Amino acid sequence: MKKCVLAVLLVALLAMTVSAALPPNPLVMDPALFQEIGTKGGELVLGLGSSPRSFNFYGVVDGPSYTVIYNFLDPLVMENPATGEIIPGLAESWTIDETGTVVTFTLRDVKWSDGTPFTADDVVFTLEHVVMNPNAEGNSQDRFTLGGKPVEWKKIDDRTVQAILPVPYGAFTRVLSHALILPKHKFESYIHALNPAVEKGSINKAWTLDTPLKDVVGTGPFVVTEYIVDQKIVLEPNPYSWKVDPEGNQLPYVDRLVYLIVQDAEVMMAKFRAGEIHRITPTGQNYPGLKQDELAGRPYKILAGSPVDPTPSPPHLSFNWDVADPELQELFRNDTFRQAMEYTVDRHRIIEDVYNTLAIIPGVPVLPANTAFYNPEIENIMRPYDPEQAKQMLDSIGIVEKNGVRVLPSGRPLEITLTAAANMQANNDIAVILKSEWEELGIQTHLQLISSTLVGEKRQAGEFEAMIEAFGNQPDPQLRKAIWQPGRPLYYWHGSTMDKEQNPIIGNMVGWELRVFELFELAEVEMDPVQRKALYDEWQAIFAEKVPVIFIAKGMALTAVSDKVGNVFLKDNGQIVGTNYTIFMK
Amino acid sequence: MFRYIVRRSLMMIPMMVLISILCFVVIKLQPGDFTTQFLHDPRISPEMVAQIRTRLGLDQPAHIQYLTWVKGIVTKGDFGYSFAYKRPVHELIWERMAWTVGVAAITIVFTWVVAIPIGIYSATHKYSFLDYFLTFIGFIGVSIPSFFLALVLMYVYLSLGGTAVGGLFSQQYIGAPWSLGKFVDLLRHLWIPIIAIGLGGTASLIRLMRANLLDVLGTQYVTTARAKGLAERTVIYKHAVRNAINPLISIFGMQLPSLISGTIIASIVLNLPTMGPFFYDALLNSDQYLVMTFLMLSAFLMLVGNLLADIMLAWSDPRIRYE
Repeated sequence: MKKCVLAVLLVALLAMTVSAALPPNPLVMDPALFQEIGTKGGELVLGLGSSPRSFNFYGVVDGPSYTVIYNFLDPLVMENPATGEIIPGLAESWTIDETGTVVTFTLRDVKWSDGTPFTADDVVFTLEHVVMNPNAEGNSQDRFTLGGKPVEWKKIDDRTVQAILPVPYGAFTRVLSHALILPKHKFESYIHALNPAVEKGSINKAWTLDTPLKDVVGTGPFVVTEYIVDQKIVLEPNPYSWKVDPEGNQLPYVDRLVYLIVQDAEVMMAKFRAGEIHRITPTGQNYPGLKQDELAGRPYKILAGSPVDPTPSPPHLSFNWDVADPELQELFRNDTFRQAMEYTVDRHRIIEDVYNTLAIIPGVPVLPANTAFYNPEIENIMRPYDPEQAKQMLDSIGIVEKNGVRVLPSGRPLEITLTAAANMQANNDIAVILKSEWEELGIQTHLQLISSTLVGEKRQAGEFEAMIEAFGNQPDPQLRKAIWQPGRPLYYWHGSTMDKEQNPIIGNMVGWELRVFELFELAEVEMDPVQRKALYDEWQAIFAEKVPVIFIAKGMALTAVSDKVGNVFLKDNGQIVGTNYTIFMK
Repeated sequence: MFRYIVRRSLMMIPMMVLISILCFVVIKLQPGDFTTQFLHDPRISPEMVAQIRTRLGLDQPAHIQYLTWVKGIVTKGDFGYSFAYKRPVHELIWERMAWTVGVAAITIVFTWVVAIPIGIYSATHKYSFLDYFLTFIGFIGVSIPSFFLALVLMYVYLSLGGTAVGGLFSQQYIGAPWSLGKFVDLLRHLWIPIIAIGLGGTASLIRLMRANLLDVLGTQYVTTARAKGLAERTVIYKHAVRNAINPLISIFGMQLPSLISGTIIASIVLNLPTMGPFFYDALLNSDQYLVMTFLMLSAFLMLVGNLLADIMLAWSDPRIRYE
């Protein structure tokens, strides 16, 4: 009897410690993320295409590192994985004052995975000393500098933090959702400003892969518990995780999250087929084979969802407005020429031939699935494939055909060199298709298929005539300002809109570019979402009409997942959902 | 002999300096540097990229970068810092050394243990069916690139229902303490890399051993030995093989660098946690000090291997004297 009582007591005690780990105000995740309420336990094995370089989010610019780090660190506000909307994260709520410049965050009462309370000090520390640290290789200085002045952070009390913006900033919560908060007690010794004994660059040497893992603490659903060089990384649930499912069960469901490091894509695929890896992101080329397997009853399925993520980056075609040849320069700056060239792009053929049908007509460049910003009107402006129309338009600007060759007004044949990355399959194949279309029209086309690194260099140096490039689409256009606003470093097809100090040169912009420039400036300081959308709608319409670049296609989101995995599924709207912490093992 | 070794060792210093300059020049001839990859990222302004270049010292002229690196080695034994991993280069190489040397050593042993007896058999039974057959296998081994063989082996094994492909262990044994199960699991994985990487070497060694031994078997002293009435075993193993193996000892010395560099593409395809894929990544990223240190290590092993081979030659062949 005594034993029995003791056992009951023990169980009760255990239950108490478990529930004590849940914070008083957990975040209930969107029911749209759950096909069913999961069961606890099991091991989820994923593949990682190369070793991470560090556990320090701000020390490296490296995809595999980010993939791992997002499992154990959290931002103040986060994107709802089901909809992309901004929802509370480490801040359980926030208010914006009437000037739109003071944002007050109330912090969630949670603990770091080592039991230390999370406080306003961690937030102020991260944003002041790490996010804004010019010596941190992966810093976000640009995103938190408005009109040349940094956002200021103020601790009000342990659970309240204030951000003081120099000017209103519409995308503030969006950029904040990419700023993961670090534990001050584990990080401050690496900061030169707080510990003058270390050099300025030592921020990058924090949390390298040889760091004892007990020091790599976080607030996320998982904590890293094992790293075997070049072979695997193991994460286990954070006992203080503050996310719960709609029934109040603490997330994550799985006991272990394992990343197997597999460099070769074919081996990754083999390991998935052998059941060793539970979920992968296949390419369009893998789709038919996997679908066949699925239909033949193999224990996995492949999902093709409407694209929501920035990657795969949608390729576009650009013409260099600053090309050295004066005659080509004039031609490329001619709106009618670029519009004619849009008529030569057979998007449907490209989607079929290059993407195995697993792609959609892209936005300009906001994705159709992005309801917060997409302007459906562009569908009426974008020009469909029509080579006849292209011919007429070229004739109309004096680029006429003589003996099967189109000649410039000077009588010289029109020759264009089209540059694309040979090691990016889609870009490479699109370039080949465009060449054949253009030669039909009588434009002599030379392909320059080179490594993506060289493409990048030629792009930034402005040494090209026409180019296939691709930039990822972010949910908020503000985050792509460096690309689409004239006078910015990646507005590369018209590089002369920016001077050597990287300031915009207004005088070099044409009329509609000026308007686009203005739209981005206005939208940046606009806090009202409806007004912001209206401004970006106008930008999309201008881009669709004037085609500074011609958007070609956007690959669909693909995921192949083992039947043992629950809660990875296609939603009614055609999007794939399934995050590591809502997945459970059947 | 001792003087010879000292002289050869001292010669290595100018050789290493020359090799290091050559390596550095080649690295610098590559378009772009470590920061080039950031140009694609809208999150990072070109201004920021310039800052990173300054911090990493990449804005300085190439010869200054080189001299700074050499100075670090000579004065502090510091081989530099990996741009990608933010850690000292020697630590990163050391972490991967055990598996790299382990896999390579097993492969080399496999190569020799298989190749020498087969070579001897082929030579002593020339134009027999088995000789033709082994020669045939040998030519296939020489002509198929190891990474391709690795892919084919994995494909065949997978199609036959095998699951142990890629890497050295099944997932649950990675990082687990050693046990019988883990050892068996290692063996289940290890045979593909050993065959795939080893077969090419085996094949060429068989051909060499066969050709050398055939040469020796035709010489007069072998005829003499036979005429004296020595047992055929003694003739072959004591007189012929010992002389035929000399050129192979030189080859053995050359194999030392492959202990670390091995077959890079095959290691990527086989997902081995060795230096090969790691080095390949560093090359792609222009992680220059990592690449330099790796190349220097490889060159050093080559020089040491050559020296060892020469010493071994002197030991095995009394006719060779370096004084």
